[in-house]
Amino acid sequence: MPSEAFLRTFSERVSSEPGAPALVQGDVLLTYGELAELAAAARAVVTGLGLPDGAAVCVPAAKSPAVIALVIGCLQAGRRVFLPSPDLGAEVLAELCERIGCAYLLEPGRPPRPTGAGPGPEWTGPGLLLATSGSTGLPKTVVLSESGVDGFLAWAADRFDIGPGTTVLNHAPLNFDLCLLDIWTTLHAGGRVVLVEQDKAANGTYLRDVCTRHPVDVVQAVPMFYRLLADANDAAGAAAFTGVKHVIFTGDAMPLNLLGRVPGLFPAARLWNVYGCTETNDTFLHEVDVAEAVARGALPIGRPIDGVTARIVDRSGAVVPHAGSGELEVDSPFRAHGYLDPELTARKWRDGFYRTGDLVTRDEHGLVFLAGRDDFHVKVRGVRTNLQEVEQVIQQHEDVAEAVVLAVPDEVAGHRLRAVVRRRPGSSLDSIRLRVHCAARLPKTAVPTAVEFVDRELPRTSTGKVDRRALNTTGERNRVVD
Amino acid sequence: MSTEVEIKSFIVRNFAPDVPPDQLEPDLNLLDSGVVDSLGLLRLIAWVGERFDIAVEEADISPDNFRSVDAIAAFVADARRNSEVAR
Repeated sequence: MPSEAFLRTFSERVSSEPGAPALVQGDVLLTYGELAELAAAARAVVTGLGLPDGAAVCVPAAKSPAVIALVIGCLQAGRRVFLPSPDLGAEVLAELCERIGCAYLLEPGRPPRPTGAGPGPEWTGPGLLLATSGSTGLPKTVVLSESGVDGFLAWAADRFDIGPGTTVLNHAPLNFDLCLLDIWTTLHAGGRVVLVEQDKAANGTYLRDVCTRHPVDVVQAVPMFYRLLADANDAAGAAAFTGVKHVIFTGDAMPLNLLGRVPGLFPAARLWNVYGCTETNDTFLHEVDVAEAVARGALPIGRPIDGVTARIVDRSGAVVPHAGSGELEVDSPFRAHGYLDPELTARKWRDGFYRTGDLVTRDEHGLVFLAGRDDFHVKVRGVRTNLQEVEQVIQQHEDVAEAVVLAVPDEVAGHRLRAVVRRRPGSSLDSIRLRVHCAARLPKTAVPTAVEFVDRELPRTSTGKVDRRALNTTGERNRVVD
Repeated sequence: MSTEVEIKSFIVRNFAPDVPPDQLEPDLNLLDSGVVDSLGLLRLIAWVGERFDIAVEEADISPDNFRSVDAIAAFVADARRNSEVAR
Protein backbone atom coordinates (compact mmCIF):
# COMPACT_ATOMS: atom_id res chain seq x y z
CA MET A 1 0.00 0.00 0.00
CA PRO A 2 2.09 2.58 1.29
CA SER A 3 5.04 3.26 -1.00
CA GLU A 4 6.62 2.88 -4.44
CA ALA A 5 8.85 0.12 -3.06
CA PHE A 6 5.79 -1.75 -1.80
CA LEU A 7 4.12 -1.51 -5.21
CA ARG A 8 7.26 -2.76 -6.98
CA THR A 9 7.64 -5.75 -4.68
CA PHE A 10 3.94 -6.46 -4.98
CA SER A 11 4.07 -6.60 -8.82
CA GLU A 12 7.13 -8.81 -8.71
CA ARG A 13 5.30 -11.18 -6.42
CA VAL A 14 2.26 -11.15 -8.71
CA SER A 15 4.48 -12.11 -11.69
CA SER A 16 6.48 -14.80 -9.93
CA GLU A 17 3.81 -16.44 -7.73
CA PRO A 18 0.35 -15.39 -8.97
CA GLY A 19 -1.28 -18.42 -7.36
CA ALA A 20 0.10 -17.79 -3.87
CA PRO A 21 -2.59 -16.90 -1.30
CA ALA A 22 -2.67 -13.23 -0.29
CA LEU A 23 -5.88 -12.50 1.64
CA VAL A 24 -8.42 -14.66 3.43
CA GLN A 25 -11.67 -13.45 4.97
CA GLY A 26 -14.50 -15.87 5.76
CA ASP A 27 -14.96 -18.01 2.67
CA VAL A 28 -13.18 -15.53 0.40
CA LEU A 29 -9.59 -16.29 -0.60
CA LEU A 30 -7.67 -14.02 -2.96
CA THR A 31 -4.39 -15.04 -4.54
CA TYR A 32 -1.77 -12.44 -5.39
CA GLY A 33 -2.91 -12.72 -9.05
CA GLU A 34 -6.56 -12.13 -8.15
CA LEU A 35 -5.69 -9.27 -5.81
CA ALA A 36 -3.68 -7.66 -8.61
CA GLU A 37 -6.60 -8.01 -11.05
CA LEU A 38 -8.99 -6.31 -8.64
CA ALA A 39 -6.41 -3.60 -7.99
CA ALA A 40 -5.93 -3.03 -11.73
CA ALA A 41 -9.69 -2.57 -12.19
CA ALA A 42 -9.74 -0.07 -9.33
CA ARG A 43 -6.74 1.73 -10.77
CA ALA A 44 -8.59 2.14 -14.09
CA VAL A 45 -11.57 3.67 -12.30
CA VAL A 46 -9.36 6.12 -10.38
CA THR A 47 -7.40 7.08 -13.48
CA GLY A 48 -10.69 7.60 -15.32
CA LEU A 49 -11.71 10.29 -12.80
CA GLY A 50 -9.22 12.65 -14.46
CA LEU A 51 -8.19 14.18 -11.14
CA PRO A 52 -5.55 16.91 -11.14
CA ASP A 53 -1.99 15.85 -10.37
CA GLY A 54 -1.37 15.51 -6.66
CA ALA A 55 -5.03 15.21 -5.62
CA ALA A 56 -5.85 12.70 -2.86
CA VAL A 57 -8.78 10.26 -2.75
CA CYS A 58 -10.76 8.94 0.21
CA VAL A 59 -11.34 5.21 0.78
CA PRO A 60 -13.41 4.45 3.92
CA ALA A 61 -11.59 1.59 5.64
CA ALA A 62 -14.38 -1.00 5.82
CA LYS A 63 -12.04 -3.98 6.01
CA SER A 64 -12.39 -6.51 3.17
CA PRO A 65 -10.17 -7.97 0.44
CA ALA A 66 -12.00 -5.72 -2.07
CA VAL A 67 -11.18 -2.57 -0.10
CA ILE A 68 -7.52 -3.57 0.21
CA ALA A 69 -7.43 -4.12 -3.56
CA LEU A 70 -9.02 -0.69 -4.02
CA VAL A 71 -6.36 0.95 -1.86
CA ILE A 72 -3.60 -0.77 -3.86
CA GLY A 73 -5.25 0.36 -7.13
CA CYS A 74 -5.39 3.99 -5.93
CA LEU A 75 -1.73 3.86 -4.94
CA GLN A 76 -0.81 2.33 -8.30
CA ALA A 77 -2.59 5.29 -9.87
CA GLY A 78 -0.11 7.46 -7.94
CA ARG A 79 -2.70 8.77 -5.49
CA ARG A 80 -2.43 9.69 -1.83
CA VAL A 81 -5.15 7.69 -0.05
CA PHE A 82 -7.01 8.99 2.98
CA LEU A 83 -8.13 5.88 4.90
CA PRO A 84 -10.62 6.97 7.59
CA SER A 85 -12.62 4.74 9.91
CA PRO A 86 -15.83 3.64 8.18
CA ASP A 87 -17.66 4.66 11.38
CA LEU A 88 -16.60 8.29 11.18
CA GLY A 89 -19.60 10.61 11.29
CA ALA A 90 -20.65 12.22 8.00
CA GLU A 91 -19.92 15.78 9.13
CA VAL A 92 -16.41 14.98 10.31
CA LEU A 93 -15.68 12.97 7.18
CA ALA A 94 -16.76 15.87 4.96
CA GLU A 95 -14.58 18.30 6.90
CA LEU A 96 -11.51 16.06 6.69
CA CYS A 97 -12.04 15.42 2.95
CA GLU A 98 -12.20 19.20 2.46
CA ARG A 99 -8.93 19.77 4.31
CA ILE A 100 -7.11 16.94 2.53
CA GLY A 101 -8.64 17.77 -0.84
CA CYS A 102 -10.42 14.46 -1.50
CA ALA A 103 -12.92 15.25 -4.24
CA TYR A 104 -14.03 11.61 -4.42
CA LEU A 105 -14.91 8.90 -1.98
CA LEU A 106 -14.31 5.38 -3.33
CA GLU A 107 -15.96 2.13 -2.29
CA PRO A 108 -15.77 -1.29 -3.96
CA GLY A 109 -18.60 -2.05 -6.36
CA ARG A 110 -19.97 1.48 -6.32
CA PRO A 111 -19.39 4.44 -8.60
CA PRO A 112 -17.03 7.07 -7.15
CA ARG A 113 -18.97 9.52 -4.99
CA PRO A 114 -18.15 13.24 -5.24
CA THR A 115 -17.62 14.75 -1.78
CA GLY A 116 -17.96 18.38 -2.78
CA ALA A 117 -14.46 19.10 -1.43
CA GLY A 118 -12.40 21.73 -3.21
CA PRO A 119 -8.74 21.35 -4.13
CA GLY A 120 -6.39 20.63 -1.22
CA PRO A 121 -2.61 20.42 -0.89
CA GLU A 122 -0.71 19.02 -3.88
CA TRP A 123 0.53 15.62 -2.74
CA THR A 124 3.59 14.01 -4.28
CA GLY A 125 3.56 10.28 -4.95
CA PRO A 126 1.43 7.49 -3.51
CA GLY A 127 1.03 7.05 0.22
CA LEU A 128 -1.38 6.87 3.10
CA LEU A 129 -3.11 9.40 5.31
CA LEU A 130 -4.49 8.12 8.61
CA ALA A 131 -6.66 9.87 11.20
CA THR A 132 -6.06 9.81 14.93
CA SER A 133 -7.99 11.33 17.82
CA GLY A 134 -7.51 15.01 18.58
CA SER A 135 -8.59 17.38 21.32
CA THR A 136 -10.60 19.81 19.19
CA GLY A 137 -13.48 17.55 18.21
CA LEU A 138 -11.80 16.87 14.85
CA PRO A 139 -9.42 13.95 14.28
CA LYS A 140 -5.83 14.79 13.35
CA THR A 141 -4.66 13.69 9.92
CA VAL A 142 -1.30 11.87 10.04
CA VAL A 143 0.77 11.95 6.84
CA LEU A 144 2.80 8.74 6.59
CA SER A 145 6.25 9.03 5.05
CA GLU A 146 7.60 6.78 2.33
CA SER A 147 10.96 6.16 4.02
CA GLY A 148 9.29 5.58 7.38
CA VAL A 149 6.94 2.98 5.94
CA ASP A 150 9.67 1.25 3.89
CA GLY A 151 11.94 1.06 6.92
CA PHE A 152 9.14 -0.36 9.05
CA LEU A 153 8.08 -3.01 6.51
CA ALA A 154 11.67 -4.30 6.31
CA TRP A 155 12.15 -4.28 10.09
CA ALA A 156 8.84 -6.00 10.88
CA ALA A 157 9.28 -8.77 8.29
CA ASP A 158 12.74 -9.53 9.65
CA ARG A 159 11.84 -9.33 13.35
CA PHE A 160 8.74 -11.52 13.15
CA ASP A 161 9.91 -13.91 10.40
CA ILE A 162 7.26 -12.84 7.89
CA GLY A 163 7.92 -14.11 4.35
CA PRO A 164 6.39 -16.25 1.59
CA GLY A 165 4.36 -19.01 3.23
CA THR A 166 3.84 -17.10 6.49
CA THR A 167 0.27 -16.52 7.69
CA VAL A 168 -0.45 -13.45 9.80
CA LEU A 169 -3.68 -12.70 11.65
CA ASN A 170 -5.07 -9.19 11.29
CA HIS A 171 -7.42 -8.15 14.11
CA ALA A 172 -7.14 -4.34 14.01
CA PRO A 173 -9.44 -2.19 11.88
CA LEU A 174 -7.99 -1.30 8.47
CA ASN A 175 -7.62 2.39 9.37
CA PHE A 176 -5.21 1.57 12.24
CA ASP A 177 -1.44 1.94 11.89
CA LEU A 178 -1.23 -1.62 13.31
CA CYS A 179 -2.15 -2.81 9.81
CA LEU A 180 1.25 -1.64 8.61
CA LEU A 181 2.51 -4.77 10.31
CA ASP A 182 -0.16 -7.39 9.92
CA ILE A 183 -1.53 -6.48 6.49
CA TRP A 184 1.01 -4.39 4.61
CA THR A 185 4.23 -6.00 5.85
CA THR A 186 2.75 -9.41 5.12
CA LEU A 187 1.72 -8.50 1.57
CA HIS A 188 5.10 -6.84 1.04
CA ALA A 189 6.84 -10.01 2.19
CA GLY A 190 4.69 -12.34 0.09
CA GLY A 191 2.77 -13.93 2.97
CA ARG A 192 -0.92 -14.54 3.61
CA VAL A 193 -3.15 -12.34 5.78
CA VAL A 194 -6.19 -13.71 7.58
CA LEU A 195 -8.58 -10.77 8.03
CA VAL A 196 -10.89 -10.74 11.04
CA GLU A 197 -14.31 -9.40 10.03
CA GLN A 198 -14.58 -6.09 11.82
CA ASP A 199 -18.13 -6.42 13.07
CA LYS A 200 -17.22 -9.72 14.77
CA ALA A 201 -13.89 -8.57 16.22
CA ALA A 202 -15.25 -8.67 19.80
CA ASN A 203 -16.79 -12.13 19.43
CA GLY A 204 -14.49 -14.66 21.10
CA THR A 205 -16.19 -17.71 19.58
CA TYR A 206 -15.74 -16.27 16.12
CA LEU A 207 -12.10 -15.36 16.79
CA ARG A 208 -11.40 -18.89 17.98
CA ASP A 209 -13.04 -20.31 14.83
CA VAL A 210 -10.92 -18.08 12.61
CA CYS A 211 -7.68 -19.11 14.33
CA THR A 212 -8.69 -22.77 14.16
CA ARG A 213 -9.73 -22.73 10.49
CA HIS A 214 -6.68 -20.82 9.30
CA PRO A 215 -3.60 -21.77 11.31
CA VAL A 216 -1.58 -18.58 11.73
CA ASP A 217 2.11 -18.04 12.43
CA VAL A 218 1.96 -14.48 13.73
CA VAL A 219 -0.68 -12.73 15.84
CA GLN A 220 -0.68 -9.04 16.68
CA ALA A 221 -3.57 -7.66 18.70
CA VAL A 222 -4.71 -5.50 21.60
CA PRO A 223 -5.10 -7.16 25.04
CA MET A 224 -8.89 -7.40 24.58
CA PHE A 225 -8.34 -9.91 21.76
CA TYR A 226 -6.33 -12.25 23.99
CA ARG A 227 -8.93 -12.10 26.75
CA LEU A 228 -11.79 -12.90 24.36
CA LEU A 229 -9.81 -15.75 22.79
CA ALA A 230 -8.70 -17.19 26.14
CA ASP A 231 -12.28 -17.08 27.49
CA ALA A 232 -13.70 -18.69 24.36
CA ASN A 233 -11.04 -21.39 24.37
CA ASP A 234 -11.61 -22.16 28.06
CA ALA A 235 -15.38 -22.28 27.58
CA ALA A 236 -15.00 -24.73 24.70
CA GLY A 237 -12.27 -26.73 26.42
CA ALA A 238 -10.40 -26.28 23.15
CA ALA A 239 -6.78 -27.10 22.35
CA ALA A 240 -3.98 -24.53 22.32
CA PHE A 241 -2.77 -22.86 19.13
CA THR A 242 0.52 -24.70 18.92
CA GLY A 243 1.54 -23.47 15.48
CA VAL A 244 1.79 -19.76 16.39
CA LYS A 245 5.42 -18.58 16.40
CA HIS A 246 5.12 -14.91 17.35
CA VAL A 247 2.50 -13.26 19.55
CA ILE A 248 2.55 -9.47 19.77
CA PHE A 249 0.75 -7.41 22.42
CA THR A 250 0.11 -3.85 21.41
CA GLY A 251 -2.21 -0.89 21.79
CA ASP A 252 -2.71 -0.98 25.55
CA ALA A 253 -1.12 -2.20 28.78
CA MET A 254 -1.33 -6.00 29.02
CA PRO A 255 -2.85 -6.96 32.41
CA LEU A 256 -0.65 -9.47 34.24
CA ASN A 257 -3.51 -11.86 35.06
CA LEU A 258 -4.25 -12.07 31.35
CA LEU A 259 -0.57 -12.38 30.46
CA GLY A 260 -0.39 -15.49 32.63
CA ARG A 261 -2.98 -17.20 30.41
CA VAL A 262 -1.16 -16.51 27.13
CA PRO A 263 1.45 -19.32 27.23
CA GLY A 264 -1.43 -21.79 27.62
CA LEU A 265 -2.98 -20.42 24.41
CA PHE A 266 0.23 -20.20 22.39
CA PRO A 267 2.69 -22.65 24.01
CA ALA A 268 5.30 -22.48 21.21
CA ALA A 269 5.27 -18.75 20.56
CA ARG A 270 7.77 -16.03 21.37
CA LEU A 271 5.85 -13.24 23.10
CA TRP A 272 6.47 -9.57 22.39
CA ASN A 273 5.25 -6.35 23.91
CA VAL A 274 5.29 -3.55 21.36
CA TYR A 275 4.82 0.14 21.98
CA GLY A 276 4.08 2.76 19.35
CA CYS A 277 1.56 5.20 17.97
CA THR A 278 0.32 6.34 14.57
CA GLU A 279 2.70 9.31 14.52
CA THR A 280 5.91 7.31 15.06
CA ASN A 281 4.90 3.71 14.39
CA ASP A 282 6.47 1.10 16.69
CA THR A 283 9.35 2.45 18.76
CA PHE A 284 9.79 0.08 21.73
CA LEU A 285 9.99 -3.69 21.82
CA HIS A 286 10.28 -6.16 24.64
CA GLU A 287 10.48 -9.92 24.46
CA VAL A 288 8.22 -11.09 27.26
CA ASP A 289 9.25 -13.56 29.91
CA VAL A 290 5.94 -14.25 31.63
CA ALA A 291 7.38 -15.56 34.90
CA GLU A 292 9.74 -12.59 35.14
CA ALA A 293 6.94 -10.08 34.45
CA VAL A 294 4.70 -11.68 37.07
CA ALA A 295 7.55 -11.72 39.61
CA ARG A 296 8.30 -8.08 38.88
CA GLY A 297 4.63 -7.14 38.96
CA ALA A 298 4.87 -5.15 35.72
CA LEU A 299 5.41 -5.70 32.02
CA PRO A 300 7.93 -3.27 30.50
CA ILE A 301 7.67 -1.79 27.01
CA GLY A 302 11.36 -2.60 26.97
CA ARG A 303 14.01 -0.78 24.99
CA PRO A 304 14.01 1.32 21.83
CA ILE A 305 13.94 -0.60 18.55
CA ASP A 306 17.24 -0.37 16.60
CA GLY A 307 17.53 3.07 15.05
CA VAL A 308 15.04 4.65 17.47
CA THR A 309 16.27 7.28 19.92
CA ALA A 310 14.22 7.81 23.04
CA ARG A 311 14.54 10.31 25.85
CA ILE A 312 12.66 10.95 29.04
CA VAL A 313 11.87 14.53 29.88
CA ASP A 314 10.91 15.62 33.37
CA ARG A 315 8.39 18.29 34.34
CA SER A 316 10.95 21.06 34.11
CA GLY A 317 11.77 20.05 30.52
CA ALA A 318 15.16 18.57 31.42
CA VAL A 319 16.26 15.28 29.90
CA VAL A 320 16.51 12.49 32.48
CA PRO A 321 19.94 10.92 31.82
CA HIS A 322 19.66 7.46 33.38
CA ALA A 323 17.02 5.87 35.58
CA GLY A 324 14.03 8.07 36.33
CA SER A 325 10.55 9.17 35.29
CA GLY A 326 9.00 11.65 32.90
CA GLU A 327 7.31 12.03 29.54
CA LEU A 328 8.59 9.77 26.78
CA GLU A 329 9.84 11.46 23.60
CA VAL A 330 10.94 9.40 20.59
CA ASP A 331 12.74 9.93 17.31
CA SER A 332 12.18 7.03 14.96
CA PRO A 333 13.22 6.09 11.41
CA PHE A 334 9.66 4.79 11.01
CA ARG A 335 8.01 8.10 11.86
CA ALA A 336 5.33 9.87 9.85
CA HIS A 337 6.04 13.22 8.18
CA GLY A 338 3.75 14.82 10.70
CA TYR A 339 0.19 16.09 10.76
CA LEU A 340 -1.58 17.78 7.89
CA ASP A 341 -1.65 20.89 10.10
CA PRO A 342 1.94 22.24 10.35
CA GLU A 343 1.19 24.16 13.56
CA LEU A 344 0.12 20.97 15.26
CA THR A 345 3.24 19.21 13.96
CA ALA A 346 5.40 21.95 15.44
CA ARG A 347 3.66 21.56 18.81
CA LYS A 348 4.00 17.78 19.02
CA TRP A 349 7.52 17.36 17.60
CA ARG A 350 10.47 18.98 19.35
CA ASP A 351 13.74 18.88 17.35
CA GLY A 352 12.81 15.61 15.71
CA PHE A 353 11.43 14.03 18.88
CA TYR A 354 7.72 13.22 19.09
CA ARG A 355 6.16 13.99 22.46
CA THR A 356 4.12 10.87 23.19
CA GLY A 357 2.15 12.17 26.16
CA ASP A 358 2.98 8.87 27.89
CA LEU A 359 4.58 8.98 31.32
CA VAL A 360 7.27 6.36 31.74
CA THR A 361 9.85 5.12 34.22
CA ARG A 362 13.27 3.79 33.23
CA ASP A 363 14.98 1.41 35.64
CA GLU A 364 18.71 1.05 36.27
CA HIS A 365 18.95 -1.65 33.55
CA GLY A 366 17.50 0.70 30.91
CA LEU A 367 14.12 -1.05 30.78
CA VAL A 368 11.22 1.34 30.26
CA PHE A 369 7.80 0.92 31.90
CA LEU A 370 4.60 2.82 31.13
CA ALA A 371 3.51 4.77 34.21
CA GLY A 372 0.30 6.25 32.81
CA ARG A 373 -0.81 8.93 30.44
CA ASP A 374 -1.64 12.54 30.86
CA ASP A 375 -5.16 12.99 32.20
CA PHE A 376 -6.99 13.12 28.93
CA HIS A 377 -5.85 10.11 26.93
CA VAL A 378 -7.15 6.60 27.49
CA LYS A 379 -7.48 3.43 25.48
CA VAL A 380 -10.97 2.18 24.77
CA ARG A 381 -10.98 -1.30 23.21
CA GLY A 382 -7.38 -0.58 22.18
CA VAL A 383 -8.18 2.75 20.52
CA ARG A 384 -6.48 5.89 21.78
CA THR A 385 -9.25 8.23 22.81
CA ASN A 386 -8.97 11.83 23.87
CA LEU A 387 -11.52 12.65 26.59
CA GLN A 388 -11.40 16.35 25.73
CA GLU A 389 -12.39 15.62 22.17
CA VAL A 390 -15.48 13.75 23.36
CA GLU A 391 -16.30 16.57 25.78
CA GLN A 392 -16.02 19.12 22.98
CA VAL A 393 -18.45 17.18 20.82
CA ILE A 394 -20.97 16.76 23.65
CA GLN A 395 -20.76 20.46 24.44
CA GLN A 396 -21.61 21.28 20.84
CA HIS A 397 -25.11 19.90 21.47
CA GLU A 398 -27.49 22.81 21.94
CA ASP A 399 -29.17 21.27 24.98
CA VAL A 400 -25.93 20.80 26.91
CA ALA A 401 -24.86 23.35 29.52
CA GLU A 402 -21.67 21.58 30.58
CA ALA A 403 -20.20 18.14 30.34
CA VAL A 404 -17.27 16.08 31.49
CA VAL A 405 -16.16 12.69 30.20
CA LEU A 406 -14.47 10.24 32.56
CA ALA A 407 -12.69 6.99 31.85
CA VAL A 408 -13.74 4.05 33.99
CA PRO A 409 -11.31 1.09 34.06
CA ASP A 410 -12.87 -2.01 32.55
CA GLU A 411 -11.48 -5.52 32.55
CA VAL A 412 -12.33 -6.32 28.94
CA ALA A 413 -12.41 -2.95 27.18
CA GLY A 414 -9.46 -1.38 29.03
CA HIS A 415 -11.61 1.68 29.73
CA ARG A 416 -15.23 2.66 29.28
CA LEU A 417 -16.33 6.27 28.88
CA ARG A 418 -18.80 7.81 31.29
CA ALA A 419 -20.20 11.21 30.46
CA VAL A 420 -21.62 13.45 33.18
CA VAL A 421 -23.84 16.08 31.60
CA ARG A 422 -25.82 19.06 32.88
CA ARG A 423 -28.62 19.93 30.50
CA ARG A 424 -29.97 23.38 29.81
CA PRO A 425 -33.15 24.13 31.78
CA GLY A 426 -36.23 22.59 30.20
CA SER A 427 -34.25 20.27 27.95
CA SER A 428 -35.46 16.71 27.52
CA LEU A 429 -32.22 15.47 26.01
CA ASP A 430 -31.75 11.79 26.79
CA SER A 431 -28.79 9.42 26.64
CA ILE A 432 -29.84 7.90 23.34
CA ARG A 433 -30.17 11.21 21.52
CA LEU A 434 -26.87 12.38 22.97
CA ARG A 435 -25.14 9.23 21.75
CA VAL A 436 -26.68 9.61 18.27
CA HIS A 437 -25.19 13.13 18.29
CA CYS A 438 -21.78 11.76 19.31
CA ALA A 439 -21.88 8.86 16.86
CA ALA A 440 -22.33 11.32 13.96
CA ARG A 441 -19.13 13.11 14.95
CA LEU A 442 -16.82 10.58 16.63
CA PRO A 443 -15.47 7.07 16.15
CA LYS A 444 -17.68 4.47 17.84
CA THR A 445 -15.13 3.78 20.56
CA ALA A 446 -15.44 7.44 21.62
CA VAL A 447 -19.22 7.30 22.16
CA PRO A 448 -19.79 7.13 25.94
CA THR A 449 -21.06 3.79 27.22
CA ALA A 450 -22.85 5.51 30.10
CA VAL A 451 -24.40 8.97 30.26
CA GLU A 452 -25.47 10.53 33.54
CA PHE A 453 -27.52 13.68 33.72
CA VAL A 454 -27.09 15.96 36.71
CA ASP A 455 -29.06 19.04 37.68
CA ARG A 456 -26.38 20.82 39.69
CA GLU A 457 -23.31 22.53 38.37
CA LEU A 458 -20.32 20.26 37.99
CA PRO A 459 -17.80 20.49 40.84
CA ARG A 460 -14.83 22.75 40.11
CA THR A 461 -11.30 22.88 41.43
CA SER A 462 -9.86 26.08 42.87
CA THR A 463 -8.52 26.93 39.41
CA GLY A 464 -12.00 26.69 37.91
CA LYS A 465 -11.50 23.45 36.06
CA VAL A 466 -14.04 20.64 36.35
CA ASP A 467 -12.95 18.49 39.28
CA ARG A 468 -12.59 15.16 37.53
CA ARG A 469 -11.29 13.46 40.64
CA ALA A 470 -14.34 14.41 42.71
CA LEU A 471 -16.62 13.15 39.95
CA ASN A 472 -14.64 9.95 39.62
CA THR A 473 -15.11 9.08 43.26
CA THR A 474 -18.68 10.25 43.80
CA GLY A 475 -20.13 9.71 40.35
CA GLU A 476 -21.27 6.18 40.84
CA ARG A 477 -23.23 7.15 43.97
CA ASN A 478 -24.82 10.18 42.38
CA ARG A 479 -26.29 8.32 39.46
CA VAL A 480 -29.33 10.18 38.28
CA VAL A 481 -30.21 7.77 35.58
CA ASP A 482 -32.19 4.86 37.04
CA MET B 1 -45.53 -8.33 27.40
CA SER B 2 -45.03 -8.41 23.65
CA THR B 3 -41.66 -9.46 22.29
CA GLU B 4 -40.98 -5.92 21.13
CA VAL B 5 -41.73 -4.39 24.52
CA GLU B 6 -39.56 -6.96 26.22
CA ILE B 7 -36.64 -6.25 23.87
CA LYS B 8 -37.04 -2.50 24.42
CA SER B 9 -37.08 -2.96 28.18
CA PHE B 10 -33.89 -5.00 28.12
CA ILE B 11 -32.09 -2.49 25.92
CA VAL B 12 -32.97 0.61 27.92
CA ARG B 13 -32.34 -1.14 31.23
CA ASN B 14 -28.85 -2.13 30.12
CA PHE B 15 -27.76 0.62 27.77
CA ALA B 16 -29.88 3.72 28.38
CA PRO B 17 -31.52 3.55 31.81
CA ASP B 18 -32.74 7.17 31.63
CA VAL B 19 -35.00 6.44 28.66
CA PRO B 20 -38.53 5.03 29.11
CA PRO B 21 -38.91 1.85 27.00
CA ASP B 22 -41.74 3.28 24.90
CA GLN B 23 -39.53 6.14 23.80
CA LEU B 24 -36.98 3.86 22.18
CA GLU B 25 -37.63 4.09 18.44
CA PRO B 26 -37.98 0.54 17.07
CA ASP B 27 -36.03 1.37 13.93
CA LEU B 28 -33.16 3.23 15.65
CA ASN B 29 -29.87 1.67 14.56
CA LEU B 30 -28.51 0.64 17.94
CA LEU B 31 -25.03 -0.14 16.63
CA ASP B 32 -24.45 2.92 14.40
CA SER B 33 -25.75 5.23 17.14
CA GLY B 34 -23.30 3.82 19.67
CA VAL B 35 -26.12 2.85 22.09
CA VAL B 36 -24.88 -0.76 21.95
CA ASP B 37 -21.13 -1.24 21.51
CA SER B 38 -19.37 -4.38 20.31
CA LEU B 39 -19.15 -5.85 23.80
CA GLY B 40 -22.75 -4.84 24.55
CA LEU B 41 -23.80 -6.63 21.38
CA LEU B 42 -22.48 -9.91 22.79
CA ARG B 43 -24.61 -9.42 25.94
CA LEU B 44 -27.62 -8.62 23.82
CA ILE B 45 -27.17 -11.73 21.67
CA ALA B 46 -26.70 -13.92 24.74
CA TRP B 47 -29.86 -12.50 26.35
CA VAL B 48 -31.97 -13.03 23.23
CA GLY B 49 -30.77 -16.63 23.03
CA GLU B 50 -31.58 -17.32 26.64
CA ARG B 51 -34.84 -15.38 26.96
CA PHE B 52 -36.42 -16.65 23.73
CA ASP B 53 -34.81 -20.07 23.87
CA ILE B 54 -33.02 -19.74 20.55
CA ALA B 55 -29.79 -21.63 19.90
CA VAL B 56 -27.62 -18.67 19.05
CA GLU B 57 -24.55 -20.21 17.45
CA GLU B 58 -22.62 -17.02 17.93
CA ALA B 59 -20.36 -17.38 14.94
CA ASP B 60 -23.31 -17.71 12.54
CA ILE B 61 -25.21 -14.65 13.69
CA SER B 62 -24.90 -11.45 11.77
CA PRO B 63 -24.81 -8.28 13.83
CA ASP B 64 -27.31 -7.02 11.26
CA ASN B 65 -29.95 -9.19 12.97
CA PHE B 66 -29.44 -7.06 16.09
CA ARG B 67 -29.18 -3.60 14.59
CA SER B 68 -32.57 -2.41 15.87
CA VAL B 69 -35.54 -3.44 18.01
CA ASP B 70 -37.45 -4.25 14.81
CA ALA B 71 -34.62 -6.41 13.51
CA ILE B 72 -34.31 -8.34 16.77
CA ALA B 73 -38.09 -8.91 16.92
CA ALA B 74 -38.02 -10.20 13.33
CA PHE B 75 -35.08 -12.45 14.16
CA VAL B 76 -36.95 -13.91 17.15
CA ALA B 77 -40.13 -14.43 15.11
CA ASP B 78 -38.13 -16.17 12.36
CA ALA B 79 -36.38 -18.43 14.82
CA ARG B 80 -39.72 -19.44 16.38
CA ARG B 81 -41.24 -20.20 13.00
CA ASN B 82 -38.23 -22.33 12.07
CA SER B 83 -38.37 -24.28 15.28
CA GLU B 84 -42.12 -24.99 14.74
CA VAL B 85 -41.38 -26.25 11.23
CA ALA B 86 -38.67 -28.45 12.66
CA ARG B 87 -41.14 -30.04 15.05
